[in-house]
Amino acid sequence: MASSTSQNTSTRPVENRDEDDGFVDVPEDDGPRHASPAVPKLFTEPPPIHEEYSTDTLTVQTQTMNECVEHLAANSMELDYNHRGVPRLRREAHIKFLKKQLGTLPAPFLVADASRPWFLFWCLNGLALLGEDTTSYRQQVIATAKSMQNPTGGFGGGHGQMSHLATTFAVVLALALVGGEEAYEVIDRKTLWRWLCSLKEPDGGVQMVYGGEVDIRGAYCTAVIVGLLNMPRELSPDSPAYSPDGNTTLFTGLAEYIRRCQTFEGGISGRPDAEAHGAYAFCALACLAILDAPHRIIPKYLDLPRLISWLSSRQYAPEGGFSGRTNKLVDGCYSHWLGGCWPLIDAALNGASDLDDPESKPQPSTDLVDWYSREGLIRYILCCAQDESKRGGLRDKPSSSSDAYHSCYVLSGLSTAQYKWGLTYFNEDEMLLAEPTWKVTPRVDDSQIYDQQDRVEAIHPTYTIPDQKFYDMQGYFASKAGF
Amino acid sequence: MPPKAKVSSKAKEAASKTKEPEAPPPKTANERTAQRYYQTNPCEKRREEVGLHGLTPTERQTWANAFFLPLIVSKEVLLSHKSDREFWKQVGKESLPVRRLSRARKQHHAWGRDRHGRDVGELSPEDFDRRSLQQARLAALEALHSRFVQRRELAGLRLTRPGSSDSAAHEDVTPEEVEEDRQRRKEMAALKSELYGEKMGTYAQDPEWDDVTPIPADEPEGALAAIAYPDDYAEAISYLRAVMAAEEYSPRTLRLTEHVISLNAAHYTVWLYRFKIVQALDLSIPDEIEWLNQVSLENLKNYQIWHHRQLLLDHYHAQISANADADALKKLARSESEFLRLILDEDTKNYHVWSYRQSLVRKLGLWTPQELAATQSFIEDDVRNNSAWHHRFFLVFCDPAASTPGCHATEHDPAVPAETVDREVRYAQEKAALAPQNQAAWNYLRGVLAKGARPLASAEEFAARFVEGVGEGEGREKVRSSHALVFLADVWVEKGEKEKAALYLSRLAEKWDPIRAGYWNYRKQQIAA
Ligand SMILES: [Zn+2]
Repeated sequence: MASSTSQNTSTRPVENRDEDDGFVDVPEDDGPRHASPAVPKLFTEPPPIHEEYSTDTLTVQTQTMNECVEHLAANSMELDYNHRGVPRLRREAHIKFLKKQLGTLPAPFLVADASRPWFLFWCLNGLALLGEDTTSYRQQVIATAKSMQNPTGGFGGGHGQMSHLATTFAVVLALALVGGEEAYEVIDRKTLWRWLCSLKEPDGGVQMVYGGEVDIRGAYCTAVIVGLLNMPRELSPDSPAYSPDGNTTLFTGLAEYIRRCQTFEGGISGRPDAEAHGAYAFCALACLAILDAPHRIIPKYLDLPRLISWLSSRQYAPEGGFSGRTNKLVDGCYSHWLGGCWPLIDAALNGASDLDDPESKPQPSTDLVDWYSREGLIRYILCCAQDESKRGGLRDKPSSSSDAYHSCYVLSGLSTAQYKWGLTYFNEDEMLLAEPTWKVTPRVDDSQIYDQQDRVEAIHPTYTIPDQKFYDMQGYFASKAGF
Repeated sequence: MPPKAKVSSKAKEAASKTKEPEAPPPKTANERTAQRYYQTNPCEKRREEVGLHGLTPTERQTWANAFFLPLIVSKEVLLSHKSDREFWKQVGKESLPVRRLSRARKQHHAWGRDRHGRDVGELSPEDFDRRSLQQARLAALEALHSRFVQRRELAGLRLTRPGSSDSAAHEDVTPEEVEEDRQRRKEMAALKSELYGEKMGTYAQDPEWDDVTPIPADEPEGALAAIAYPDDYAEAISYLRAVMAAEEYSPRTLRLTEHVISLNAAHYTVWLYRFKIVQALDLSIPDEIEWLNQVSLENLKNYQIWHHRQLLLDHYHAQISANADADALKKLARSESEFLRLILDEDTKNYHVWSYRQSLVRKLGLWTPQELAATQSFIEDDVRNNSAWHHRFFLVFCDPAASTPGCHATEHDPAVPAETVDREVRYAQEKAALAPQNQAAWNYLRGVLAKGARPLASAEEFAARFVEGVGEGEGREKVRSSHALVFLADVWVEKGEKEKAALYLSRLAEKWDPIRAGYWNYRKQQIAA
């Protein structure tokens, strides 16, 4: 039943009204279907400032806004909504979709031939987030990973492909997701280390593949691999970045490189001189947060106020979702790339609340700050980014089809919105630690608009996999100092 | 030896008239087999219909004789002398066939299936015969082909070990013979495809690739996210693995990379290999770039293409710089700019293209009015195109002649001339006025002010044009740009007018940009602190 006070915000044309309107309560007037009264107008009406001056950017923005509002209005006859006008997380449909994407893919997927490791990571991480047992894939992941491994170190996209940092990152995380010694032991740490050293450039950057591009993904992937596998930081003498005084390491210059990627807008670009972009902002912050404690390193290398301002500009209303760049459209995957930045920003501002010298803290505690509208993001995820058909899976926006990549990152974004991360100097046994560690708690507050059973698993804020999977792998390699 | 069974035409006629009705011509090979079976097994059809006991005594005798005939011929059944004579007399009289089609053959013979999965036995007899001829033809071609391969191998051996043989058979194959075998393989491929639906790949058909042993995909049992590769891709990749392993850099491998790229432009390995080939063969970079232009237009969202272009650019730049070839440098700058214009028209915010453009400017020092004008035209076309705004900022504030190297993007740079800052402030304001809710222009304005260490208040008047009666109630408060509102809030902070700043931030949170309410409230907290 639509409220008579709400305006006609739905863009659904009159002739598209459901044929069986006679069975349900319909508004008195003959206008388009009204938004559900359970949904705040913020998410169903155009923004308060209407701009006349038309350009291509505005045209596509208006189209996208309309298609989102149609879904946010929570008035589809085919869907069930809770009392807040939010549909359920289609857990079973997404699980089915992700399992299918792990199976044999039809011929048109040949363009993904060089990114098969990503399919492993996206699907397994998505399944883990949905609470599925991923250990049953262990043997298959082991066999698949071995077929992608090169004797000279690292993993490529498949048999006969060169080792690449992105595919190596994906394989290592896929092995972490299935877990177990046999899976961990697939990784040849020594050759992997030598290969990493060969990619390190004298100016601090890291090549993605031998002879390939240097960008901020290289910095992040290096930090994750080194951190997860407890690799020696020192460089091998045949590394292009090796210095005889032994002062350069795999991490030397990474933070400076990241600083060079901050732009005048405050956001972070893929490489120095380029435009600020959401995916790279996460790579930058997560990389820094692995190199050192976030509250020490992030304010040191980045202009934090400008970064926060830019990050905050990424959320749009009425859509509720995040856009990757200024004046670009919302897209489900930025739920992770940008949503994932906020716990790191929080930590950068708060430090480890229980021990750090309050004098050294740059800001008052931001514990109570809502950096972005979690309600908006969750509405976007559950209303706009879920495939409603039998197909399942999650997507960029309503007009695009679901895929493994978006399924993983939309769910990761949902997880970030559902938990609270902070740093602490105490471990679970209340033992004092030399360095702060991450601690997670579910967010429970009145503003929770989703049903309790739609909470997904928590993922680690920098390693992006469920935190226990991360601790298991890191713990396994912690005992291996050398090779 | 038993006397040869003479077929009496009279008896045959009688048999066909009395016992078997004239069968219609067979429609399929299986039907023809069945007919032959009944022809060579007299009374069998009757027996199947009525059973052994339903046969007349004569029929039963004929049937039994026919049944025993092969057994007696093969001496599996031994008869006494007398019975033997009697038996052969009967056989002669009935002109029974000595050879007969076995029952198994009739019932179970599998001719196999054709490429459509049809039972070959269900083909018409004509088609069946044609198929048999084709099979024979294929066998003959295969024999000739393997002789060719063998001869060439021997010739190769002779070449590598001269004097090891002087036999005529070891003579090198002529180009005509190579061509002949190429044609032969074409015919073989067509026959294999028609007979069995088996694809003989392009490379397997090409004598030029005979010396390469392809390395097929080593896909383990149960591999995850395995792709059902189309045959042509699977074959091309298996040759790619082989030539890469052999580190071959040759014209044919260049063609192979082009083929693989046309099937899957996201295959990063093939691109890096291609660049090595370009280097090893010292190929013309302008030619390679021209080829790449076409590929780029067909793969707008591709990443690898732009890295390849970057490698070509670096390589070529080093070449022409070494030769101090100013003309070539100019030509390169012009053709690159033209192509970037073309491709950005297709996708005006393409991240990879703009990133490449930035590195092109650095490499060729294109800190020029032309480059600025080209960028400006993107802003004129769509004032909200942030990629164009970003590029403009880069051109203006990273020009080594008018900036401090290593100066951070959000920091004051004393090396930037004041006129430049003035000009850019004017430009940003002019564009922000067109569409005041366009954040790109406001971000730019802030960026310029920071570079010039200008107070935000220097643009206070401008920002105030879009805002009226803030906090004076619904009817009087008019805001045409939430970005102007934020800008002014920051102006009040700068001026120390905390309450005013807090009010503006509150109005953002409550009314003008409520999705960011959390951030505006945080900003308010900061002011209060
Ligand atoms: Zn996306």
